[in-house]
Amino acid sequence: MIRSVESTGHHDGGQPSQSPADHGGNGHSAPQRFVRVRILRQDAPGEESYWERFEIPYVANMNVISILQQVAAQAKSRDGRRVAPVAWDCNCLEEVCGSCTMLINGRTRMACSALVDRLLDESADEIELRPMSKFPVVRDLVVDRGRLFHSLERVKAWVPVDDSYDHGPGPRISPENQEDAYPLATCISCGCCLEACPQFTKIELVRREDESADDFEARRTAAFDAGFVGAHAISQAMLFNGHPTGKMIADERLTALTAQGGIQMCGNAQNCVAVCPKSIPLTRSIARAGRAATVWAIRKIFDR
Amino acid sequence: MTANDPSQSFLARHQFLIYRLFSLAGLMPVGAFLVVHLLTNASVLAGPGVFQSRVDMIHSLGPLLVPIEWAFIFLPMLFHAVVGFVIIANGLPNVGSYSYVGNVRYTLQRATGMIAFVFIIWHITQLHWLGTPFGGGRFDPHHATSSAAVVLRPLLITILYAVGILSTVFHFSNGLWTLGITWGLWTSPGAMRRANWISIMVGVLLGGAGLGALGGMRSVDVEQAKVIETRMEDVKRMLEGGQSPLESSPSHGQAPAVHTSETAAPVVPTSGSVPRTPSGG
Repeated sequence: MIRSVESTGHHDGGQPSQSPADHGGNGHSAPQRFVRVRILRQDAPGEESYWERFEIPYVANMNVISILQQVAAQAKSRDGRRVAPVAWDCNCLEEVCGSCTMLINGRTRMACSALVDRLLDESADEIELRPMSKFPVVRDLVVDRGRLFHSLERVKAWVPVDDSYDHGPGPRISPENQEDAYPLATCISCGCCLEACPQFTKIELVRREDESADDFEARRTAAFDAGFVGAHAISQAMLFNGHPTGKMIADERLTALTAQGGIQMCGNAQNCVAVCPKSIPLTRSIARAGRAATVWAIRKIFDR
Repeated sequence: MTANDPSQSFLARHQFLIYRLFSLAGLMPVGAFLVVHLLTNASVLAGPGVFQSRVDMIHSLGPLLVPIEWAFIFLPMLFHAVVGFVIIANGLPNVGSYSYVGNVRYTLQRATGMIAFVFIIWHITQLHWLGTPFGGGRFDPHHATSSAAVVLRPLLITILYAVGILSTVFHFSNGLWTLGITWGLWTSPGAMRRANWISIMVGVLLGGAGLGALGGMRSVDVEQAKVIETRMEDVKRMLEGGQSPLESSPSHGQAPAVHTSETAAPVVPTSGSVPRTPSGG
């Protein structure tokens, strides 16, 4: 909600207006507006989460990152208590790095491109910020997206040229191939597709007291391997299977995509493509991967 | 990480194959059976005689009917249901947060799957001879229309059947669309949109057939249907055993004339008919 606190000192000499949080006064006759924010906080992994409310001065053209910067700067909740600054992840501030994904008014999106004026149109009362629900919370709005990157490793989402020999010029890529590949290459690993996917569910393991770091890592990797790879990884596998050099290990990617937690876990809800901030044709990639898996499975049966 | 890690369980190692067989089973044979079943039932709209002749055609399989039912209907359906419940249990519907059409369909696909599961069990218990020990099994293949009409006539039963049929039809026709994506038949957004029309048309057609059959069963004159069915039965017996229809149906006090307007239409199967038990197995 944007509250307009009319200056109570309008008639007695322009006294600073008071907001409940005691930070609204500006001494001017123009009304100061405030934005209310509700943030789901968590102090450490595995701990209870709790809501904390903030009220910050409205500035035109704010985004959610500028709200969080203001929250950190004032470090004071709406009821005036001093609180630890809210932690969040961000880097590029232009929807390229993919690190500031969170649940804003209940929907997954990038905090940098979530504009406050539009959010207030959605819910005028209060803006709600929550950490992503499909990844373990590290602190407040910071989550551990390790599984997202592990999925990319599972499907070998890279071109396998990793040595120092001169292989000469690579094969030419046709303009059609480029046009096909470019949208897939714009993936920023933000995880929105995974957050919105009803088939992608959270895997959060806690290290046991008697467990070495290596053992824990092995257990976590095994759990990730059994889970759904997710739309982003399927799409990246299709990107590199369409690349003239990348397709040299196309079968390895298809093996990964048809292993446990592979493409078969997709339930065709198609939320991934609807929430993707880069408008990547994820369902096209999934259907193409389905077709490739069909052909590959038939080949595997009859060609061995 | 690889497909054939021996440390994994059998189900984990063959997850892709199992899910693809699950998808295939939904189309063939379960979906194909649904189409045949609903269209057969809709033939009641052409009169009890037509429906009876369709049922006779199916029952002309005689002793093969039971193994065919188990191999091509019950077991694939059970497999589809078991894997379906595993899929439902592993999903986390979020249509409240993301109310996109695709997501609504995802959720409905699971809801209608569960409704269809309950409905089909109830339906089999009520009408199929397998339900006889449970007080059901009331469908008599010799009196196809009349025996089914008596069961379906109460308004509550009709409403529950309408819900069950429409859920099953939605599940099948929506499943047809997702199957095309799963197997990679339609891959581009445009192709998916066009395929969606096929899915909608199949759904409307089958939904119409299912509700038509239900309405046909409700509007049929049970006594008249019984007469027609008995006459057809007599003709069959006569053709099989050289018995005269006059001798076998004196108790009904009806004229033994066979060719009324309703019994004239169906072609009574003459060969391959095997004497059946009254329970219709």
